[in-house]
Amino acid sequence: MLTGQVLLERIQKNVGVPWQSQRSDGFSDGILEGDADAPVTGVVTSFTPTLEVLRRAVATHKNTIICREAPFYSRGERAPLFWRNSPGPPQEMTDSDPVCRAKQEFITQNHLIILRLSENWDARSSDGQLRGLVRALAWEKFHLPNKNRQEYDPRNVYFQASKNSLGLLAQDLMAKLKIHGVRVIGEATSPVRKVALTHGLLLVADSERMLREQDLDVVIAGDAVEWEAAPYFQDLVTAGRIKGLILIGQQASEEPGSGEMAEWLRSFVTEVPVEWVPAGEPFWVLA
Amino acid sequence: MDHTTLSRRRFCQLAGGGLLLAPTFLRGQSSSGTLTAREVVARIRKHVGVPWRTPTADDFKIGDPDAPITGITTTFMSTLDLLQRSAAAGNNFVISHEPTFWSAADVVSDLRDNPLYHLKLDFIAKHKMVVWRFHDHWHARRPSDGIFAGWDRAMGWENYRVKSDNPFSIQYAIPETSLEDLARDMRKKLNVRSMRLVGDPKLPVTRVGNGGHYILQCMPQLPKVDVLLVFEGREWEAPEYIRDAIAAGEKKGLIQLPHEGGEEEGMRECALWLRTFVDEVPIAFLPSGDPFWIPA
Repeated sequence: MLTGQVLLERIQKNVGVPWQSQRSDGFSDGILEGDADAPVTGVVTSFTPTLEVLRRAVATHKNTIICREAPFYSRGERAPLFWRNSPGPPQEMTDSDPVCRAKQEFITQNHLIILRLSENWDARSSDGQLRGLVRALAWEKFHLPNKNRQEYDPRNVYFQASKNSLGLLAQDLMAKLKIHGVRVIGEATSPVRKVALTHGLLLVADSERMLREQDLDVVIAGDAVEWEAAPYFQDLVTAGRIKGLILIGQQASEEPGSGEMAEWLRSFVTEVPVEWVPAGEPFWVLA
Repeated sequence: MDHTTLSRRRFCQLAGGGLLLAPTFLRGQSSSGTLTAREVVARIRKHVGVPWRTPTADDFKIGDPDAPITGITTTFMSTLDLLQRSAAAGNNFVISHEPTFWSAADVVSDLRDNPLYHLKLDFIAKHKMVVWRFHDHWHARRPSDGIFAGWDRAMGWENYRVKSDNPFSIQYAIPETSLEDLARDMRKKLNVRSMRLVGDPKLPVTRVGNGGHYILQCMPQLPKVDVLLVFEGREWEAPEYIRDAIAAGEKKGLIQLPHEGGEEEGMRECALWLRTFVDEVPIAFLPSGDPFWIPA
């Protein structure tokens, strides 16, 4: 019988890298919620297990959600690095919080299993998050991979720009990914030819590595800390070292990878249906 | 670190913990009678109304504190663009709320081979500039946090603050508006471009809470407010929290501002405050501005 635990073990066997928790603080990959010995009735993959995603899972008779983020608005770190994010709220706070309580009750009442799969998925030699994002953008034809590496090696992030100015490129990303809250550093009219496409939180060290690439004009990422990589790119633009930075949002940059994850899961989970349910962009913006 | 703390540094500001530094100001005004950055900082320490704490981010980041200063710029973030504008304005002393070298503690050990770091250093040296960070103690200023005093003034919300003894629980009772109208008003008054919103645009709003950066600040506030403000927060925290609150049937909204939107006006306040005890040189607030814009 396919239980939560059996599913986890099958993932561990198929992931292709030694299973590890690479985090010294915070949630590790594995079952965060639910009974590991309960049978899996179906699998939903999503960037983050929002209440709406959980409802959709229940409505389609799937009790197991595999996601990158945890359900209660925290990565569970007690001492987050460099004040970039919040320490996890203590149990007494979440226990008395009406939103957390409503979500916890929904999880319990519907016997849901929530399985986090993030670091081990990212440790694979082919970057599923990048591949998903490239497919969502239909940018395969623009890829400039180093041929000595696997096509979606995590370092193969360079692409020919789909549009020839920073502003048009940003609008192209918005249209393809159907998102609104895209934030840009740099001049809209700056010409762009070569792009680094990344996902998640961009750090200064990552940026420096990418800046060694010849003729790089723009970096695309999910989010940036506003006293780290964001002013770093402001300064790079002022210094004329790059044309710009486009932040498409954490969710938009990581969600297509959950589609890749669903496809990969279907290759070794055949007893139950596996569906990708995008959480969708959380934001809207003023006109 | 205790599980419930927000951050070491921010709690340090509040708790009044930490060692008191002896008031040993090495030099004040130089022999020629010219004002130095060190002398200005000595006056700030005298006027800020709280004992100086350690450890603190509030320190000289670059430049010679004992060189004569020509003018003072207060700003939110000492970006290269801001330094250029300050030099053009004739102000060689920059007081910045946020870091100069792209990390919370302005750690430069990893930047020795970094061309951008050297470019910024060279500009500062060429224009004989000095940068001092004023973060922890401006937040800790008595009688009120200088940053949020400036924010209240910019919004015209000085009289709307709900009384609270908890400086991490700033709330406002405002005349009824909608989430969308509030966001438009805020965008104009705070001069921001990259605001992002969660919730029904028509949501009626009379109570607003400052959620700071962190879910740990947002969670205890939400039951008491209609709308939370967050600036520089990670997307897996407040936006997902409010999205679920709405899905659970609660009438709530979120305004996620750029970091500047939450704090830059506090450095305009800082310039006003400095003028009450520094009159030898010109003092200007120069906004570093919202780093982002959002395509239409």
